Amino acid sequence: MLDVARNEKIRLFTYSEVSDISGYIGNFSVEITKKPRYVKDICNGCSACMDVCPAHGYNEFNLGLNPRPAIYISFPQAVPSLAQIDMDKCIKCGLCIEACELEAIDFDQKTEKINVEVGTISVATGWDEYIPEDGYLGYNKYDNVITQLQLERILAPNGPTMGQLVRPSDGKEPKRILFIQCVGSRDLNRNVYCSSGVCCMVSIKNSKLIKQHYPDADITVAYMDIRASGKYYEEYYTASRIAGVKYLRTNISRIEEVSETKNLKILVQDTLRESLGVQEMEFDLIILSAAMIPNYDILSLNKVLKLEVSPDGFFKETHARLEPINTKIPGISLAGVSQGPKSIAESIMQAGGSASSAGKLMTRKKYKIDLIIAEVDKEKCSKCGLCILNCSYNAINMTEDGAEVDEINCRGCGSCLSNCPSEAITLRYYRESHYEAQIDAILKEFEEVA
Amino acid sequence: MAGTIRAQYPTTIRPIRVNCTARVTPSLIMRSIGNGADGVLVIG
Repeated sequence: MLDVARNEKIRLFTYSEVSDISGYIGNFSVEITKKPRYVKDICNGCSACMDVCPAHGYNEFNLGLNPRPAIYISFPQAVPSLAQIDMDKCIKCGLCIEACELEAIDFDQKTEKINVEVGTISVATGWDEYIPEDGYLGYNKYDNVITQLQLERILAPNGPTMGQLVRPSDGKEPKRILFIQCVGSRDLNRNVYCSSGVCCMVSIKNSKLIKQHYPDADITVAYMDIRASGKYYEEYYTASRIAGVKYLRTNISRIEEVSETKNLKILVQDTLRESLGVQEMEFDLIILSAAMIPNYDILSLNKVLKLEVSPDGFFKETHARLEPINTKIPGISLAGVSQGPKSIAESIMQAGGSASSAGKLMTRKKYKIDLIIAEVDKEKCSKCGLCILNCSYNAINMTEDGAEVDEINCRGCGSCLSNCPSEAITLRYYRESHYEAQIDAILKEFEEVA
Repeated sequence: MAGTIRAQYPTTIRPIRVNCTARVTPSLIMRSIGNGADGVLVIG
């Protein structure tokens, strides 16, 4: 990320949103809304303001495990390392203004709109962790049930506990730890898809990490199937088994809390050791390995991107096997989890593909379009605008003389003409008369046979 | 699709390829039925 910020040829907009996109391949015009940080760019991230700020807010980066001041840097390695103010929590006491030597704080900053002209767009919106509904497997109901990302923050040296593994209820070091896999994935009622083995590998990684630091920890992973399909993944899995992590093939449906100790009890049947029958187990900490879901904001972004979305909620590629990078809109390609759950290595591969797919289009300087596009007979057009509503590609504009088709954006689907009450639109090469001739010929053949 | 999944269908069905199911106008359906077709399936 630092390299991106330092590269002269890359313009980086952080704390910003894409609010509008118009144009077509080679000539996209993108409107970027830059949200106010209330801190000028001269800030050097010294954190003097954060030390004096009396107001506190929800620490998004640590998933609410600890509070943060109302003026804060979103996370330690943030690029650029600028402070920002959470105006919902700020009490406007002005202590930060006094503390700032650079006089960088500016309460009057406004939302800024910036227009950029680009040739191609790569969508790399990433993912968010599935949030189990309250009470499901004890999430948000019992203190010692946390998600995998929360565990990541607890184990991180710069996290809320400086890397000390403690459980939320009493701050004690947990001895018996259970990971539950496939929370919200491979589940017909939640997400049907598998998160591509990412949660399996993360659980294996974290279980190994805990085992290294706390060798007497008793770690169990409850799984449906361990999907360790990748280079060195199976070896990594085997290494964690050798290190003493226990794997339990089962499906956990209910967790109960022991009220005095806040420990958690489950009833399990190991499907690989059925002779053991149903066993009761008790744990100090349970980690829900929740599914990867598309970025929470993907739908609001798609109001301007207008890409197809597949049933699992990720952006749809042109073809799942033959064209997994490009979208149906020429000039817009996908990278990483925006297209489907995948690991870091796979995301990097797709990002490389996405970049070269953009480069290929831009260096050629020419783009061939299909001639199968709609045409409007302006004399017949009544300017009702039904075609504009029906066009999925934003390819029709209304002018004073009638509707006009944008030849580059039109994909030749024909939904405009079948909705045209004046029959003013025709599809080049697929005209009404062509179909009528086909129908007549087919039906004539039947008549002759009869 | 019918071919790749080896689906069986009556020999009296005649497919007409369209760019998109949205391309099928009501008048094409009416023309088929009016000229003696027993039914029209719009499949996509």
